[in-house]
Amino acid sequence: MGVCITGIGVVSAIGMSVDENLSALREGRTGIGPLHYLQGTKASLAGEVKASNDELRAALGVGTEYVSRTSLLGLQAAREAWGDNKRSGVIRTGIISATSVGGMDRSEVFYKDYLAQSNPDYRLLTTHDSGSTTERIAKELGITGYINTLSTACSSGVNAIMLGARLILQGTLDRVLVGGSDALSGFTIDGFRSLMIYDDQWCRPFDDSRAGLNLGEGAGFLLLEGEKSIELTGNKPICNVSGWANAADAYHQTASSPDGKGATLAIEHAIRRAGIGLDQISYVNAHGTGTKNNDHSESVALQNVFGDRIPPFSSTKAFTGHTLAAAGAIEAVFSVLAIRHNLIFPNLNYRTPIAETGLVPATQLETGVEVNAVLSNSFGFGGNNSSLVLTKYE
Amino acid sequence: MNKPALYLSAASTISHQPTFRNPGFSAALAPVEASSALISPDYKAYIDAGLLRRMSKILRMSVACARDCIEQAGTGQPDAIVVGTGLGCLQDTEKFLNTSLTVEGLLPPTSFIQSTHNTMAGQISLSLGNHGYNMTHTQNTLSFEHALLDAAMLLREGDRNVLVGAADEHIDILEDIVAQLAFEASAPLTSAASFFVLSVENQGDAKAVLADVYTVGGTKYGQEDIDAFLDRNGLQAGDIDLALYAGTPVQGAALNVDYLSLAGVYPTGSAFALHYAMDLLGTNSEVRNVLICNGLRKSNLGLTLLKAVEA
Repeated sequence: MGVCITGIGVVSAIGMSVDENLSALREGRTGIGPLHYLQGTKASLAGEVKASNDELRAALGVGTEYVSRTSLLGLQAAREAWGDNKRSGVIRTGIISATSVGGMDRSEVFYKDYLAQSNPDYRLLTTHDSGSTTERIAKELGITGYINTLSTACSSGVNAIMLGARLILQGTLDRVLVGGSDALSGFTIDGFRSLMIYDDQWCRPFDDSRAGLNLGEGAGFLLLEGEKSIELTGNKPICNVSGWANAADAYHQTASSPDGKGATLAIEHAIRRAGIGLDQISYVNAHGTGTKNNDHSESVALQNVFGDRIPPFSSTKAFTGHTLAAAGAIEAVFSVLAIRHNLIFPNLNYRTPIAETGLVPATQLETGVEVNAVLSNSFGFGGNNSSLVLTKYE
Repeated sequence: MNKPALYLSAASTISHQPTFRNPGFSAALAPVEASSALISPDYKAYIDAGLLRRMSKILRMSVACARDCIEQAGTGQPDAIVVGTGLGCLQDTEKFLNTSLTVEGLLPPTSFIQSTHNTMAGQISLSLGNHGYNMTHTQNTLSFEHALLDAAMLLREGDRNVLVGAADEHIDILEDIVAQLAFEASAPLTSAASFFVLSVENQGDAKAVLADVYTVGGTKYGQEDIDAFLDRNGLQAGDIDLALYAGTPVQGAALNVDYLSLAGVYPTGSAFALHYAMDLLGTNSEVRNVLICNGLRKSNLGLTLLKAVEA
């Protein structure tokens, strides 16, 4: 039976729930636009979740104002994935979240007042550390015991899913809620601008004219269960988490290697772990950030692994923006949707192949195909490369 | 599930104490003083001078300890690199936050690049040319225990040697924050990094056996959780020759030592305690079982059980 996915939840610029995200993906409707809620940044476009912190707190029933947007978004998606499941004294349950910015959205409010010496509210800092964002989600859901947070930049979300699957296979946990969450912040917007990889126009993954990413925000969560847990909960598996791998590029702190070494290792090992042939991958949900460097390196890695028989692939980042640590989890939810509904999502804004590699992504919604296995890639700063293989539950 | 014994074959710590490349340091360690400073080795012996200039304290400590540890273990390239950090790269985070709020126009990106929590693990992989599994855990006061759990899992999955460690750095604003939030630290706030090589085999000079690691978060815990953990490992509190604790002493242990008084206070101080315990096990044959009981935060409990290597 392996490790099963029995629940999914997502919030992103294209919707507050799985259904809303699926509709937008089907209709080719992006969530990237001018910022409305986060004020005072230099970003002309971003993938903002269409709700204020107050609206999120009210909808989620969170009383305190000392809560980061990262926690609120995470809780929104985690609640949806958790669904009607009950706490149990018998089923050992854990939670693993991934975040890159943690409570930076609150910390930067504090620090601005601190620098101006205008009554900084130190309590805002109680939500700064990344671990506290997960502790808050766990507390709201009543999960205690194994509570953990991973932070490997943009590959974090996939790593949370991978760690959850390993904990179930090793018999440490019976079920585990895994995912990732990151909120937009002035800090990250300025950071990617300082690297000159923030596109002021709408991002164009895998297009020759691509000029950088648009940041986004959101969260994705998946409920993973092993055999023992499913026997007790009676939950119906949607998909299996079949393959995973994590490899270091060891090339540069931020840039990906031109030969796609780390990415190639991650993809190869994940497919090998899944025990399926290369030709059985029906769709690749690419990392595809829209930066010159990533999309080139990832294309080379896909060619290294698949040769000239690359499966249909697309990046969904022109819908959501790059949601950093949440990306791997949000895109795992999209991959589950691809399998569940036999869909291949379009890569928006693609016109011309990258000159060096010539790869052509899927540009239209495909509905007439059977999607049995999806490869999802997430690559990050620090040379952290991770890939995931999800397969249809048989 | 039956857990095979795992061996700690090397350790390296840079801290406010004379821990670095100083076997036997545990014998004569005095409590850390408020006036103490980080005891830095000659970093140029471990890190290229060009890189060193751009590196914050936490990066220097981490890369130097990692390299020293790999050299000591003599096991070559590790199969994986796993790091725990409670607060990550504070120095670069504050620096970029400051720049982004005060500087108009184009900002220098270095401090942003080096602000992410995975910078230590990434820099270590770069320094070693390592393409293996690379992971960063950040769960508050349990970050190191989670890294150790992950490393132990990797060895059970087939890896032979894993580099596992923890690091946290002190910046000045922490003193102000601690005072404002009325957090009562029992010892001075400090910086430190500790790295270890955890192996499936004893290459002949293993310093200690890692018998078990356990974490529980988000709940009140008590002596019964500790007793249950020991029971799962076939022990009782009376079998513990030394308990290194943060928070509350372990009832029934032969000797209790507050490791925060030695390490100072930082989120991953239990990694200092692990090195201290290994050093003690290597020099004092009376000590057979050591329990590290990390209750630095009241809602988080981390337990690490070490045993002497059987001759």
